[in-house]
Formats: sequence, structure tokens, C-alpha cells
Amino acid sequence: MSGWPGVADGPAYFEDVHAGQTLRFGRYEVTREEIVEFARQFDPQPFHLDEAAARESLFGGLVASGWHTGAMFISMVAEHMGPRAVTQGALGFDDLTWPVPVRPGDVLTVESTVVETIPSRSRSDRGTVKIASRVLNQRAEAVMTLTSLVIVMRRPRAGGAAPPAAPGAGAEGGAGAGQSSRSFQ
Amino acid sequence: MKYFEDFAVGEEMPLGSHVMTEEAILAFARRYDPQPFHVDAEAARRSIYGGLIASGWHTCAVMMRLSVEAHRRIAAAGLGSPGMDSCRWLKPVRAGDTLTGTSVVLETWPSRSRPMGFVRRRVELRNQRGEAVLAVVGVSMYRRRETPAG
Repeated sequence: MSGWPGVADGPAYFEDVHAGQTLRFGRYEVTREEIVEFARQFDPQPFHLDEAAARESLFGGLVASGWHTGAMFISMVAEHMGPRAVTQGALGFDDLTWPVPVRPGDVLTVESTVVETIPSRSRSDRGTVKIASRVLNQRAEAVMTLTSLVIVMRRPRAGGAAPPAAPGAGAEGGAGAGQSSRSFQ
Repeated sequence: MKYFEDFAVGEEMPLGSHVMTEEAILAFARRYDPQPFHVDAEAARRSIYGGLIASGWHTCAVMMRLSVEAHRRIAAAGLGSPGMDSCRWLKPVRAGDTLTGTSVVLETWPSRSRPMGFVRRRVELRNQRGEAVLAVVGVSMYRRRETPAG
């Protein structure tokens, strides 16, 4: 089943995605070297860089930057989707939490559930899919949770679909000029 | 040192600027987010973005870098973050863009159980045309100033 839209085992278009679909995927081994490397580049705070300083911190030891966990999350998502994905990025996310620190040696996986599918009001070729994800460590503790707003393309219409970037007519009475030949009634 | 008590609602903080090079965009995307429109110029041209764009997670990481540097300039007693309320990638970020950040304090409240407090902020990154490309509302934790005895 295609939990996250656009997985390689069969393109999942917007029409194929339904609330309640759940999928577990990914495996990411977190190393001390990578934690420090990411932190040097993007989040040079002592508890991400230096074991001794981290021991004195709230975390009691070296922990990954939360944004590094985000990067590891999207890495597992991108790998899972594969090159045939029909997702086109995301608008953003809501309710991101980092409840448990990520530490060297952790092994992460993702569990994603489709919460809601929302047709675009201004573009008839796509919709937004709200996906709630939990990044879990080897003890099944959630180390990051978030709800992503993923852009998923609709199934191309038969007989020469417009290119994806073409402005579509607003199917629900949006500002479109009625270029769409497809009826949504 | 700037403690929890020193942050006031409405207070703005400039975060400085960062140039997004094609090299950095590709390096981040190849490592963490190899979706076609982040790593393949040809595929990106055919995508809804019409060209190569930075991973949104890369833009967030750059925001973090700017934020850490800004906090260092004011010597803030930062303790990390429990999470973000929302993040929107409002416009694509492309090679050569210069992103400039600002943050504004929305709310502050003390922890009930620890000697620290929480600060909720809205952070924005704008490109060289003044267009907002990233808007994040998130919470950070800071140490409290030690209460003088008596």
C-alpha cells in the first residue's frame, strides 16, 4: 500500500491517497561523526558539538540538532519515495516536536499516517496531503513528530495533460478562468 | 549574558544574511533530500518549480545557523528547543539567493519545574527581492537569571 504518496511500487497520485493509510519505512543509523558534522555546519551549539560540554547541559550527553533529525527524516522519506514520486515537495509542516533527544548509536525509522487530503482551490492539477509522521528510535520512542503538508499531483488526464506548471482552473470556484475540461460535480 | 527575563514581547532581532550557493544546495540535497527538483537541473525544469530549488530542510538548517550566530552575538543563555508550531516554505529558494533573517518575540513564559523559561518567536527569511521564503513559529528555552537570595 502506498502510505506516503508516490512510492516506487506504483505511483500514488492524489486520488490514490486516503486518510488513515499508514506506513513504516526507513532505517537510519546515527553516528557521532555525523551529529558533529551537521552541527558544525548548521547548529554549532555546545551540546551538539562537544561531549564534555554536552554532559554539563540539560541533555547529559551529545545530542543531534533537531534540524539534523529533520534532515534524517526527509532522507528516509526521499529514499522511500524513490525516483518515480509524484509528490512535488511540501508547503511546510505544523506541530513539530522533539520529545526525546537523538544520540549517537540510535537507529531511526519513520511511521507516517495520512490525516487528510485537500484538493487545491487554485490549481486543478494537484492537492495537499496532510501526513502525520513520527520518527522513532530503536526503543520505539518518538524522537520527532510533525504533520507535513505535502503537494501531490493528480492523475494526469487522458488525451494530453497540461504540463504540471500550467495554471489550472479553480475547481471549487476559485479564481481560475475555466480552462479545465474536467467536471468536479 | 542574556537570560529568559531579558526577552520582551515584540522584541526584534536581526539574524544576518546567508548566500545559498548551488554547490551547497546540491550537497545538502544529495546527502539528505535527493528529490529530483533538488538534485537534477533537467528534472527540476520539468517540475512545478521550473528549476533547481533548495530543500526546505536546508533552508531551515540555514535559519538555525543564522539564529545560533545571532544568539552568540547577544550571548543568550539558550538551552535548545522543544519544537516548532509551524513552518512554511513560502517561495522556492534558488542558487544565488541571499537570505536575510529576522525574528520577533511573540510570547514568553517561565517553566514551572525548572530554572528556565520559554520564548515563542516568529522567524522569517527573505530573499534579495524582499520576498519571504520561510516563516517559522517556534519555541526556544533559556536559563533564568539566578534569583538573588532574600
